[in-house]
Amino acid sequence: MKHVVVVGGGTGGTLLANLLASKLRGEIDSGKIGVTLVSDNPHHVFQPANLEIAFHGAQPQKYIRKQNTLLSRRVQFLSEGVEKINIADRHLITSSGNELDYDYLVIATGSVADPSLTPGLAEASVNFHTSPWDAAKVWQALSTFERGKVVLVIAGVPHKCPPAPTEAMFLLDEYFRKRGTRDRVELTFLTPYPHAYPAKTIADIVQPMLEERGVNIIPFFSIDQVDAAGKKVVSLEGEEVPYDLLIAVPPHRGARVAVVSEIGDKDGWIPADKHYMTVNGYDDVYAIGDATNIPISKSGVVAHLQAGIVAHNIASSITGADGKQKYNGRINCPLEVGGGKALFVSGTYTRPPKHMQPTRMRYLMKKSFASLYWLMLKGSLEPIFNIYFREKEENGS
Amino acid sequence: MSQSVRKVIDSRGSFCPGPLTDLFKAYREAKNGDVLELLATDPAAKSDVQAWARKTGNVIEQIVEEQGYIRIVVRVTAKGG
Repeated sequence: MKHVVVVGGGTGGTLLANLLASKLRGEIDSGKIGVTLVSDNPHHVFQPANLEIAFHGAQPQKYIRKQNTLLSRRVQFLSEGVEKINIADRHLITSSGNELDYDYLVIATGSVADPSLTPGLAEASVNFHTSPWDAAKVWQALSTFERGKVVLVIAGVPHKCPPAPTEAMFLLDEYFRKRGTRDRVELTFLTPYPHAYPAKTIADIVQPMLEERGVNIIPFFSIDQVDAAGKKVVSLEGEEVPYDLLIAVPPHRGARVAVVSEIGDKDGWIPADKHYMTVNGYDDVYAIGDATNIPISKSGVVAHLQAGIVAHNIASSITGADGKQKYNGRINCPLEVGGGKALFVSGTYTRPPKHMQPTRMRYLMKKSFASLYWLMLKGSLEPIFNIYFREKEENGS
Repeated sequence: MSQSVRKVIDSRGSFCPGPLTDLFKAYREAKNGDVLELLATDPAAKSDVQAWARKTGNVIEQIVEEQGYIRIVVRVTAKGG
C-alpha cells in the first residue's frame, strides 16, 4: 500500500486530502492507497471571518467546525501534532510517539502569527490574526473605546492576508462613524510599505479613499518594539508613535516542526518550487499555502489553488494518468472598503494586480464565499472554481 | 564592535511587494554600517527603495541597471538604539 500523508488541517491540507480521496477513491477502496491527515487542531476556523468578528462583532462560533466533519470518509484523521519529519527516511513522528511512513508527504502547516516576536507587542496590543477568540477581543476593545488614538501597526512581513490591515482601517473608520464618535477618534496606520497597500495599482485606489476619510497613513514604518508603559510604538529608526488602543498585525513565522526538522529556513518558511510546490531537492515532498517561502500572498486562495495542483500531480503520479499541472501564481484576495463595497486584488506571477474599483457586487462575492467555504473544502465546488480561476491571458512562468 | 557585513538579497522574479519585503527582512537583522544589495526585476523596486531611504535616512550607495535586472546597494545607517 502506498501512503500519502498530509500534515496540517487548514484550507490547503483539508482540501488536498479531500481531493486525493476523490481522485483516488478506487485505489483507496481497494486498499492500494492510504491518505492520512495529521493536525493538532481538532477544529477548523474560517479565518477570513476574523475581520467580521473584530470589526462587526460577529460570533466566533459561527465560523468554526470540527475538522473530522470536513474530511472524506476515505481520509484517516490523526488529531495530533507532528514533532519531527525525517525527509531522508520518508518518516515522521507525531506528538504521541506514533511513527508514520509515507510515499508522498504534503506539508501544509501554515503560518503562525506570533506577537511575542516583537518586544512589548503581546502585552500592549490586540489583534485579529492569532485566533477568532482574539479577534473578539478587538471588538470588545472597540466597544469601550470613546476617544483617543487608535493605531494599527503591521509588525512584520510577510503576514497572512495582505489586504487585511488596509481593510481594517476602512472598517475602523466605518465603525466609529456608525457609533457617531469618529470626530473623537484619531486613526493611524503604520505600514512598512510605501503606500496603504503593498501593490501600487491597488494603493492608487484605496489610499485616496482612506485619506479622504481622515486616516493618517505613515509609510515605511518598521516596528522595533512597543513601549507598553509609555504607550508608544517605536520604529527601527527610533520614530515614536503614541497610541491609546493598539491593534497589531503580528509578525508571522512558519511552523516549529519545519525548523526542528531542518526543512524550513530559520523563520520556518519552507523553500519550494513556485510552480510545482515540491520541497527543494525532493520529488515526493510538497509544501503548500502559507508554509512555503514562495514569493506569493499568504492567503486562502493560494492554499486552495496549490492544493488542487498538488492533488492532481500526486494522483497522476500514482495512477500514471495525465501530465503534471503547474501553479501560475494566481491570487484573488478581496479587500473590503466599507460602505458595502469591495475590490479584488487579482494577479499571477507574471501579471501584477491591476486597478480595480470597489463595487457592491464584489462585496457580495466576498460575503458569499463565507457560506461556500465549507463546501469548497470538500472539493465539490472545484469545477466551478476551475472555471473562475482559469487564466486566459497567459499560463504564468 | 562587530564587523560590517554585506548581504545580497535576490528578489529577481518577484513583484512588488516581494523585493521590499525581502529588503525589510534583511534590514531588520542588519546593523548600522552593513550593506544590503538588492537584486530585483520589478521596475517599481528602484523608486520604492529610494523613497524608503529618504524616509528612514538609510543611504543608497549605488543603483546599477544590470542585464535584465536592477542592483540597488544600500548602506544601513539609520537604525536607532
